[in-house]
Amino acid sequence: MTPGQSLTGSVQSHTIIRVPGKAHAAKAPFVLLLVQLDDGRRVLGHFSGAEPPAIESRVMASGADNETLSFALEDKS
Amino acid sequence: MSVEVHIAGVGTTKFGVLPGHTLQSLAVEAARAALADSKIPADKIGWVLVGNFVGGIMTGQELLGPIVAADLGLSNVAAIKVEAACASSSAAVRIGHDLVRAGAEEAVLVVGVERLTGAPREALTSAMTAAIDQGTEGGSGLTFPAFWGLVMARHMHLYGTTREQVAAVTVKNRQFGITNPLAQYQKAITLEQVMTSPPIADPILRFDCCPGTDGAAAVVLASKSLAQKYGSPSVRVAASVLVNGPVRITDYKDITTHDGTVNAARRAYEAAGVGPQDIDVAELHDCFSIAEIVDSEDLGFFAKGDGGPAVTRPASERNTKVVINPSGGLLSKGHPTGATGCGQIYEIAMQLRGRHPNQVAQARWGLTHNGGGTAAAVTVHILEALK
Repeated sequence: MTPGQSLTGSVQSHTIIRVPGKAHAAKAPFVLLLVQLDDGRRVLGHFSGAEPPAIESRVMASGADNETLSFALEDKS
Repeated sequence: MSVEVHIAGVGTTKFGVLPGHTLQSLAVEAARAALADSKIPADKIGWVLVGNFVGGIMTGQELLGPIVAADLGLSNVAAIKVEAACASSSAAVRIGHDLVRAGAEEAVLVVGVERLTGAPREALTSAMTAAIDQGTEGGSGLTFPAFWGLVMARHMHLYGTTREQVAAVTVKNRQFGITNPLAQYQKAITLEQVMTSPPIADPILRFDCCPGTDGAAAVVLASKSLAQKYGSPSVRVAASVLVNGPVRITDYKDITTHDGTVNAARRAYEAAGVGPQDIDVAELHDCFSIAEIVDSEDLGFFAKGDGGPAVTRPASERNTKVVINPSGGLLSKGHPTGATGCGQIYEIAMQLRGRHPNQVAQARWGLTHNGGGTAAAVTVHILEALK
């Protein structure tokens, strides 16, 4: 994610990873989303909440954790 | 002109928690059983192919092809390991099939083997994720339960597949496992037990997951003429297909349809000259309960979205006669990843020979479906009973 870049899209699917691999053991449980971005790309990303948003919810990237985008619900205000 | 290929012999170990065994000892036990079953002398074997996924990671042992061949007393043969994640040994069968079909060899021994028990669950989860593209999606924390959790949540959203329908796959396959002496789990389970088991990667629960397993299985592939010469208890290989599919979940157009399975099935049915309505018995890659539902749709047994309701639909109300996973499947028989493909062929060969503990009456056509990674390496084999 580069400065000034706004990535929005819709949730295609979600899961909560409770039994992670060794590299992600400290984070668990965490929400993983499959997001269809408005620019046509499909990405995996983390979510800010403990419970996943409903499928088809609108989300926006709020940052990145290493190479993985982090999403939050899109602010419509 | 191509040579007709037979599964001339099959052999296996029990699948389960097998302390005191090594990769080599398991592989040799299954291979010796397959060679004895085929009645073909060992000196007719031209190649030894060993399917294995994480032997190096879990046990530190590599170079399994030459080691297993040597332990079998075979010298002056080609011997290599084949790796295609959970489809390793069925991919090896495809290679062996082509060697015989082309007339390059009269007989090929394929062995699948894995040891997965005894290690902490976290270590096993990490080993399995070696089949996720580490350059891209591995960094997200994606695991295989999570891959299938994403597939299951989407399938439920698009088609109304219910939690009960998915759990019913485990209940059905555990019921089959009770009477399969090779199975890791030989106890019934209730719908309630599945649905109240702890979450692993929502909506995937513990009893939606197949176990990690130790075991080996082997097949002897031979030309029809060699099998007939030695009186092997053969079944005919009508189709042997290996294709690739998307290697990243983000490459899927629709994660509820697995292109590798769809393409492999299409090619296999065309090669065999049959369709899904002709298949009497099938062993599908039910690594997770939702996988059997998705696979049964992608193989054409049920329409897309109908795989869930079909699990509990009475046979008399189905449009297909196929019996799915009468071995107990991966959910009950267990999943020694590198051995699973050969294990499925063992089960179908026994069905077509009329010698299976959960025998499907008058089974003529059998199918195996084995998937590696994110359904990134998929095999479909169609076998026919000989009259």
